Amino acid sequence: MFRSLLGIILWYLRPLMKWFLRKTTRLCELQRLCYGEKAGAPRSLRVENSLLQSRSGDIKNLIVFLDRISDGRKFIGTNKDSITHYAIHTVLRVKKINPQIHPQFGISFAKCIEHIWGYRQLIQEVEVLRTTPYDANNESHETKLLTLWELMMPSVQLESRVTKQWQDIGFQGDDPKTDFRGMGLLGLENLLYFAQEYPGPASHVLSHSHHPQYGYAFAVVGINLTSMAYHMLKDGSAKSHVYNVSQGLPTIKVFHHFYCYLFYEFDRFWIEAKPRNVMDFSHIREKFENTIRLSLSKPASVFRINISIDNI
Amino acid sequence: MVQTIAVDLKKSHIIGDLQSPKMNFTIEMALNDQGRKGNGLLSILRKLKSQPDKELRLLLLGLDNAGKTTLLKKLASEDITHITPTQGFNIKSVQSEGFKLNVWDIGGQRKIRPYWRNYFENTDVLIYVIDSADRKRLEETGHELEELLMEDKLANVPLLVYANKQDLLHAAPASDIAEGLGLHTIKDRPWQIQACSATAGEGVKDGMEWVCKNIKKK
Repeated sequence: MFRSLLGIILWYLRPLMKWFLRKTTRLCELQRLCYGEKAGAPRSLRVENSLLQSRSGDIKNLIVFLDRISDGRKFIGTNKDSITHYAIHTVLRVKKINPQIHPQFGISFAKCIEHIWGYRQLIQEVEVLRTTPYDANNESHETKLLTLWELMMPSVQLESRVTKQWQDIGFQGDDPKTDFRGMGLLGLENLLYFAQEYPGPASHVLSHSHHPQYGYAFAVVGINLTSMAYHMLKDGSAKSHVYNVSQGLPTIKVFHHFYCYLFYEFDRFWIEAKPRNVMDFSHIREKFENTIRLSLSKPASVFRINISIDNI
Repeated sequence: MVQTIAVDLKKSHIIGDLQSPKMNFTIEMALNDQGRKGNGLLSILRKLKSQPDKELRLLLLGLDNAGKTTLLKKLASEDITHITPTQGFNIKSVQSEGFKLNVWDIGGQRKIRPYWRNYFENTDVLIYVIDSADRKRLEETGHELEELLMEDKLANVPLLVYANKQDLLHAAPASDIAEGLGLHTIKDRPWQIQACSATAGEGVKDGMEWVCKNIKKK
């Protein structure tokens, strides 16, 4: 009751405050954010919020347009430049900003647009991978799977395509194809990226997974962490990190990086939690997720894999 | 609109109280169906009910990729499109036909199977899930079930076998599976085999009705 009342008051108060600040600073809210907030998540998150609250018809139409473009994954290449240009132009016109006097505004604002709608586009891209089921008849899928083996177990030859050896890298049975399930190709691409881009940390984590007491199924846990990364991306929690690490459009690599960080950190968290056995996974996973979510709730959060730890 | 429903609820509850327990049972079923539509009737029902729900412990076991987690999510009316292999276990409480079902879904991976026994205690019903289309592993799953039925802590515990994945082309019919597992030789407990497709939601409810009826008899 109190909160809804506060909401109503703020709804009326906001334009008044904006009008007051506009008169005193001679800048609109978007300008104040672009000049006053630090580039990255602190700025892009607030610009996003400001745009979404806008009551201007033109801005509302612009948002609908940008949503459609990014949902169709068309916010790329030369298209991208003309779209950001159009977005800047719309705001300059609606907010009556003179680009000659404010040349920096357009540049900063364009970055925000790339962050906000690039993120939305990234969700689509990740969703396409996730909804592509692992297909043992698809040669490119099979190649990726075999490459994962070679990277994780460089000194061991795979005896055949269907073999118990898969359990050594943490698949459940003789054939990994049934383990990807709801995460589809995304689960495999994530694991492969970890093995390819962070060979040291990946083999470090794999060796932990073979520990007699603290051991776990490497690939299966990896697929569960794909699910965690995916949900954090999808519900918007990962925005702070993604906006902070992306110079321009967030790409799929940013998502893979985020996943690698989660895997590396989860392994550490798991060992430190001293689990009795693998049955402790659910609740340690939950604790870990809460810790990550807490970090992500801070606009300044940036996750980087701390390799130095790995060498000790 | 809401008010009329509330009044009806009260009426049916009174009728339910006056009539046989069986009558009460059917009314609750109908309410459960309405509750699923998300109008919060279940919570009203809980307040109205004279006796608290009986809590039951159901144990879901079976090989990896049998469909245990999908079944669990289906029972809890949750989304089944984001499932991952179970490392460890999942647990959910589900309201069904006047019972509070605490369903334990334990991972089926071979390395986890030794931990199954940690969850045997106080089990009311054992639900064993089989991937009917995985004919290569029918023998393995039969062997695991055999071992479970010899466990002291599971003695006399009713057994429901879900012959899952009936939607798949190569799925073995439930009768073949029953024969393969030698279910007919089980004499020490009530048992039932139920053909189902957890993803399509077919047959799941029939199995759960059997579960609830068997508890009543107990």
